[in-house]
Amino acid sequence: MTIVQILVNGLLLGAFYALIGVGFSLVWGVTNILNLAHGAIALLGAYITFYMFQNWHIDPFLTIPVSFIATFLFGYALQRYVMNRIVKAQILMLLILTFGLEIFLVNFMTTFFSADFRSVTPVYAGNSLMLGDIVIPYIRLAVFGICVILCVSMGIFLDKTWRGKAIKATSLDIEAAMMTGISPAKIYALTFALGSGLAGVCGTLLTLTQSFSPNIAGGLTLRAFIVSILGGLGRIEGALIGGLLLGVLETSSSYFIGESYKNAIAFGLMVIVLIVKPSGLMGRKYYAEVKH
Amino acid sequence: MKTKKNIILLIIFFAILMVLPYIISGYWLRVLTQTFLFGAIATGSNIIIGYTGYPAFGNIAFFGVGAYVTGVLMTKYGMSFFYTLPFCALSGIILATLLGIPILRLKGHYFAIATVGVMETIREIIDNLTELTGGGLGLTLPIMQGDPAHIYKFFYYAMLACMVFALLVSFIISKIKFGYALRAIKVDEDAASVMGINTPLYKTFAWALSAGLVGISGGIYAYWLSYIDPNTVFVNSYSVKMFAMILLGGAGTVIGPIFGAFILELISEIIWSKFIAIHGMVLGLLIIFIILFLPKGIFETFRGGFSFKKLLTNLRENSL
Repeated sequence: MTIVQILVNGLLLGAFYALIGVGFSLVWGVTNILNLAHGAIALLGAYITFYMFQNWHIDPFLTIPVSFIATFLFGYALQRYVMNRIVKAQILMLLILTFGLEIFLVNFMTTFFSADFRSVTPVYAGNSLMLGDIVIPYIRLAVFGICVILCVSMGIFLDKTWRGKAIKATSLDIEAAMMTGISPAKIYALTFALGSGLAGVCGTLLTLTQSFSPNIAGGLTLRAFIVSILGGLGRIEGALIGGLLLGVLETSSSYFIGESYKNAIAFGLMVIVLIVKPSGLMGRKYYAEVKH
Repeated sequence: MKTKKNIILLIIFFAILMVLPYIISGYWLRVLTQTFLFGAIATGSNIIIGYTGYPAFGNIAFFGVGAYVTGVLMTKYGMSFFYTLPFCALSGIILATLLGIPILRLKGHYFAIATVGVMETIREIIDNLTELTGGGLGLTLPIMQGDPAHIYKFFYYAMLACMVFALLVSFIISKIKFGYALRAIKVDEDAASVMGINTPLYKTFAWALSAGLVGISGGIYAYWLSYIDPNTVFVNSYSVKMFAMILLGGAGTVIGPIFGAFILELISEIIWSKFIAIHGMVLGLLIIFIILFLPKGIFETFRGGFSFKKLLTNLRENSL
């Protein structure tokens, strides 16, 4: 395998990591909640796509809106009616709460959807684009495109729309935001819903590129975390760069050092970045961090 | 007067635990042994989490390392069980000291996740050291010789001793200057530093002590289970359980984590036997409800009597 191929594979994987990191990082940056159930929520989207494909043969790409809306509503209800009840307690409480949620969701999926590894293979799964020696499967290219488009539109939403600006305002100064008529409870719910919705889309895209089971939820969450750490909290462009970096690092380390050390290297890198530069490689304090 | 009464109650409690193995069935012996295990882990971790206020979410890493220290020393070097335990403690202390210097500079979420990262990294490393640890195939420890009933009792008392030892360490810390320094760090680290407390040293020492205690419980667990692999000793849900126990009983109290362990472990055992298929889901919901309704811990909430009103007040107090 040539270096260029490894790099391409890494970038294709990285866009996916960026998308899973964006939602996570946004929630963390705005509400100061580390959502340990992020990966499990993504898998909900994956199972929606899987069952729609299996039962009705609906093209996986067409189920993106369905998983987005389903996980969006789930996230909204969760934040509005459960998590908002405990927001003012110590931050650790929310960490444990989301871990409780993760245990619940993973076991729910294991019980009702079984612990088997599943995958979705539409007819066009094997087709690839050939550029000289470099092979790029069309599906991965499409996934890459969708991830980048969603990340960019998320950035535009935050910068240009009223609700997006309200999210940013709430994260910077909750009291001042309330004075301008923003309801923090609703903004928190919207933020969490957006994060969950993006996770749901990630789940759908995941079914196309790899096989999955409820047990991979933790791995997805940790990758989302690494991306947020690399990129800095609540920053769209940071998540994009962090995701691509993680993707390239993972692909190249599993090629050069060995597949079995892939996770250890990713986690090790995260710990080192945390120690050396806790505000992320992209580096400045942002959003909720200002307060704490 | 009140502490004297509490101590007498505690002595009666432990006296009952001492004679229980001769009365109850093998099943409950196993359940109680498991409860003591969590009591020891929670009490040990409480030193860094409750006293010092550093959320060491991945403290189970030291549990796993302790289990592997006992496993490797017994199988590869033919060491007898009791002699491996000091090495379990030592492995935790050394690891926590080395990691503590860089990682304890982090705060809140960052520290919590760094400890998870450390745990996952150690798990992966042990998984890959196939020659020493058996990797994913696991490690089979020598099985204890003798009558099963005797073996059950042996592990019951060993685990009880481990929990009592952790409790004693925790109690002594709470009474000496070191413990007050840790609480000062929890309240305001900068102020503690200004007052002349060498905060990095104290924090690292607190973490090392907690890691040592958790390491010993890992060693006993490995011998009890007699088969370990990375997935059975580096368990994320143990971290959550441990945390939930500390919070339920009251973080920073001496006896709280043990009460938390008893309540949560016994409840989850009952759930386990009643709803085998959905046990995990119920456990997840249970943790969510504990956090929602008892964020201050069960004793703090119900000081001066039980009432549903207090639960609802808790719910309203932290709402946005």
